[in-house]
Amino acid sequence: MTGIVTDAAMSTTLITSVPGTGSAVTGLADPAGAAGASFVLALALCLAAALVALVLPGRIRPAAAGALTAAAGAAAVVAGVRAVAGETWSAWLPDLLPLLGVRLGLDPLGGVFLAVTGAVAVCAAIYGIGYTRHGLSGRGVQAALPLFVAAMLLVPAAASVSTFLVAWELMAIASLLLVVAEHHKRAAVGEAGLWYAVMTHLGFAVILAGLAALAAVSGGDAFDRIREATPSAAAANLIFLATFAGFASKAGIVPLHVWLPRAHPEAPSQVSALMSAAMVNMGVYGVVRVGLDLLGGGPAWWWLLVLAAGALSALYGILQAVVASDLKRLLGHSTTENMGLVLIGVGAAGFFAASGSRVLAALALVAALLHVINHAAFKTLLFLAAGSVLHATGTRDLDALGGLRERMPYTTGLFALGALAASALPPGNGFVSEWLLLQSLVNSLPEGGVAHAVTMPLAVGVIALSAGLAIATFVKAFGVGFLARPRGEGAANAHESPPTMLGGMLLAGAACVALALAPTLLLPGLARAVSGVVGGTGDPVTVAGAATLRLEGIASTISPLLIAAWLVAALVLVLALPRLFAARRARRAARLWDCGAGPMTARMEYTATSFAEPLGRVFDDVLEPESDIDVTPLKESAYLVERVRFHARVPDRIERRLYEPVLAGFAVAGRAATRLANGSVHRYLAYGFYALTGALILLAVLT
Amino acid sequence: MSESTYVQLLDLACGAFLLAGVLVLWRRDLTAIVRLFAAQGAALAAIVIVLGVWQGSAELVVVGVALGGLRAGLLPYLILRALPERGGPGDGEGRETQPLVNVATSLVAAAVLALIAYAVSQPLIRLAPSPAAQAVPVALTVLLVGFFVLVTRRRALSQVVGFLLIDNAITATAFLTTNGVPLVVELGVSLDVLLAVLVLRVLTTRMRAAFGGTDLDELRELRD
Amino acid sequence: MIGAILQVVLVVAGAPLLVGLMRQVRARMEGRAGAGVLQPWRDLRKLLRKEAINPHGTGWVFRLAPLLLAATALVVTAVVPLVTTASPLDGVADLFAVTALLALGSVALALGGLDTGTAFGGMGASREVTVLALVEPTILLSVFALSVRVGSTNLGAIVTSTVNDPLAVISPVSALAAVTLAVVIIAETGRIPVDNPSTHLELTMIHEAMVLEYAGPDLALIEWASAIRLTVLLGLLGSLFAPWGIAAAGAGPVALLVAVLALAVKVGVLGALLAAGEVFMAKLRLFRIPELLAGSFLMALLAVAASFFLA
Repeated sequence: MTGIVTDAAMSTTLITSVPGTGSAVTGLADPAGAAGASFVLALALCLAAALVALVLPGRIRPAAAGALTAAAGAAAVVAGVRAVAGETWSAWLPDLLPLLGVRLGLDPLGGVFLAVTGAVAVCAAIYGIGYTRHGLSGRGVQAALPLFVAAMLLVPAAASVSTFLVAWELMAIASLLLVVAEHHKRAAVGEAGLWYAVMTHLGFAVILAGLAALAAVSGGDAFDRIREATPSAAAANLIFLATFAGFASKAGIVPLHVWLPRAHPEAPSQVSALMSAAMVNMGVYGVVRVGLDLLGGGPAWWWLLVLAAGALSALYGILQAVVASDLKRLLGHSTTENMGLVLIGVGAAGFFAASGSRVLAALALVAALLHVINHAAFKTLLFLAAGSVLHATGTRDLDALGGLRERMPYTTGLFALGALAASALPPGNGFVSEWLLLQSLVNSLPEGGVAHAVTMPLAVGVIALSAGLAIATFVKAFGVGFLARPRGEGAANAHESPPTMLGGMLLAGAACVALALAPTLLLPGLARAVSGVVGGTGDPVTVAGAATLRLEGIASTISPLLIAAWLVAALVLVLALPRLFAARRARRAARLWDCGAGPMTARMEYTATSFAEPLGRVFDDVLEPESDIDVTPLKESAYLVERVRFHARVPDRIERRLYEPVLAGFAVAGRAATRLANGSVHRYLAYGFYALTGALILLAVLT
Repeated sequence: MSESTYVQLLDLACGAFLLAGVLVLWRRDLTAIVRLFAAQGAALAAIVIVLGVWQGSAELVVVGVALGGLRAGLLPYLILRALPERGGPGDGEGRETQPLVNVATSLVAAAVLALIAYAVSQPLIRLAPSPAAQAVPVALTVLLVGFFVLVTRRRALSQVVGFLLIDNAITATAFLTTNGVPLVVELGVSLDVLLAVLVLRVLTTRMRAAFGGTDLDELRELRD
Repeated sequence: MIGAILQVVLVVAGAPLLVGLMRQVRARMEGRAGAGVLQPWRDLRKLLRKEAINPHGTGWVFRLAPLLLAATALVVTAVVPLVTTASPLDGVADLFAVTALLALGSVALALGGLDTGTAFGGMGASREVTVLALVEPTILLSVFALSVRVGSTNLGAIVTSTVNDPLAVISPVSALAAVTLAVVIIAETGRIPVDNPSTHLELTMIHEAMVLEYAGPDLALIEWASAIRLTVLLGLLGSLFAPWGIAAAGAGPVALLVAVLALAVKVGVLGALLAAGEVFMAKLRLFRIPELLAGSFLMALLAVAASFFLA
């Protein structure tokens, strides 16, 4: 890395904070801006939580660490909100990292992700107090969670390449420790950890290559320096492709998503929530920061690639979720789908910016960021509720659940709220961001050309299909998992969760409701975040009247509050009217219709597998389900059958077709390479000797 | 001391250094090999002391004496202790069996390696011509010879000696090309070497107890 | 404001009449006498007088589903421009919002079916969400095709622009969009060839299987809400492609009366055509429905492409 310049002159710590008015305060004194102070407080609280977790005895460890982490999350939310409101902050710590120093900076875009991470951390930490009380209260796990949160807070605040990479790797290591927390209970956890470790480090290697190349061609490590530099087109292409591959892997984009449905189910539930609702956002943040901000936009084909990857992930993810019968795996695949939708928005934004329409680009990016926020809220809620179910029943298998609405009423209600939000139906919060995304895509672009005319309808079709399939998925998850009667012993003996777990879920649910009814509160901040990245003047989305979203330049409006209010009014009307006209009779309990063939058992209910079977059949070319039949004959005679067993599963087709051949190839190469190691120590030493003498001879010849 | 005395003493020490290294290739008896190693350690100490006296640096002289104590005294003693006693159960172990490459070929190979070392170190000498720098080919030769010993000897202890020859050569190169290695670095390297010898001693004893011998060709049968 | 109230009252009162009309047309064409156009109102009155049933093992979702279905149908009625283009709920009068509200109603019913825990309820719910998922792309792409010309997805704006420029309806885009919307309406309301609303064979049911356990006022609400959805969707089809007679904002009582009459005529004609078509078609097998919906998706995609290239 010959091009990196080290700011060796400044050996003191330089902190500047810029409140909205623009005055700068420089020096060693305490930063005057609340954004910086809250951010530093959040980091300090995370470290304190980790220390507390290492020091305190087992009984109070979860409560203390959880409370401190929740406080850190709250401080991060405050910091993020302040940053979005325009208070930027930066810090330069040259001695912390040898050679390159640590550069931190908060701007509105980073503030959005900071606030989201903080909010998710609050819910997950409070939930974790109750969840980890039995079995997960070890020192390692309790200390790793605050460190994971701290690393996730550092990533959006990094203002130089080295800081970014260090924070990224810390995030990966901390999350890996948390994913394998329960490895002694199930063998699948170790395997999931292995896949996750390999893929996240391959992603890191690629990001490292890309960002190091970017720093080298820009002649500096700091983001400010990189923004001013203009790399050549070929270099910019390579850098974008490398970083996009790494960031897409982190965000769970197809075909680099295979770690997600393995790691998220096996991790403890609050860790799954943090990973799915906060960590995958960092992939999106990376794409926006590097592609739109640092590289300054780039040609249109980059963003068409992003859009295509997003569309593919959205479809593939939700298809896998529809046929999944493991609750947490279903939610993991749904994360892939939602990140795909976000990348559709980001890709559309970049494409519009490259085609010259800043207004549409700003709108698309605002839609994408709003979807990130909404997804974080409902995915946290869903994962925490799934964790509740796992905690109460001991199983994640939807086929064996059911009938939980009597024994776990709060969890059922909260999961229903999350499912409504996740299926993008009004009055949920997913509907608003999906509406904004669709609006940005359906508006015509004069200079778009053929690319625009072809991609936008396909993108709208993909979003629509994934929205429909999402409805099917969450009807399945909620209806089959929580309603009717219990189909297994675990579900029959379920109990409601302890208050701390309910508290975490309630916070996430409250966030979903607030986002559903009043998304207009976020819009000025999001517009500010977007204008710093995409440019352009004016707000793409403004607020008018009774919490109505009005779009600039496009004559469409929507008012989520109005929809919700009128729905409630209509519900009340519909509830009241029949009472006025109908005869007042008490409701009679009666038998269900079972064709007269005897009492209904829980065995007759539709399971998750049977619910998804029609859709699975419609899409069987894409999913390629596998089934086989094992016939076990009796020991005494091969003609008599003791047992017939039928297996049906839907493997991940990309894993089958893409990853398994690659891994098999590596295995073959490894076995071939064992011939190099024939057991003779002399041979091994001789390899080294030949290498050394060969290198020396080459050196002598060349110089 | 005068310059010519200095050059003569330096060349003498370097010559002894090289001779000791090459003679390790010739002798087959393990005890003799270890004694040659001790002699080389003394030569190395001499090199460092001469350099220190010439540069007037007391620290370098002290380092030289310490080096001598370690490499000419402690390490050979430890290795000799790892050998089985005469007349004991592993008596046949005392002599190295036929090495992989016979003695004549080894000596010819040593000559070739000396040529390579000389060719490679020309740029180094051109960089800063001085009597010390001109002795660098010697050190590089010993390095390659030590590596060669490591590769072609069957007994584990001979390989240990080969490894230590490499380390001696690296130390010599360091002192000949620079003004002196910081004490901390030398301390660290010496501790590393000491630890390596101790560990290998323990390993050899265990190997002998478990498999009844440290012949690496027999140990090769362990591979599955 | 008056127009909106008039619209709601008209649809609420007239929806069962539309269903009665369709059944009567069908009966006459099949050579039967038919039960009369007012029969659905008589059925509703009968059902309202019966007692409601709480089957064993069902919960609050089962009881909430008919209410939510009816509520979404009512909100959509107030929003869609049938009699007047100026809706007081302008913030809701977006085509995406309307389709999403209708989907919410279907989802509520599907959950009610799942809550019963019977195999039929689950089967109906599973088939319903399959059809819903496959119909979504067609709906949204038709909305896209319609909005390209107007530059907005606001229903009032689309209808107003068609009123101002009636010849724009005679274009490939509008024709394709009309056909796809017709297929969408058939799928959403569960008419032949997607689903037979008058079947008694449980294994062939989609919509009916979900409501098998409802009785009394609950069933009345569901039937009535389904009738409202059919009326509103047919009215929407009429407003989008044949908006003559629709009253603009701030119109007088005469214009409103004309609009009411026009709506009744349009919806009646469309309903009769639909019923007549049903006589000649059979219900499709469940796994042929995706082919039908894929065909309509392709037509919607062509409509959008045409709107870009012909604009």
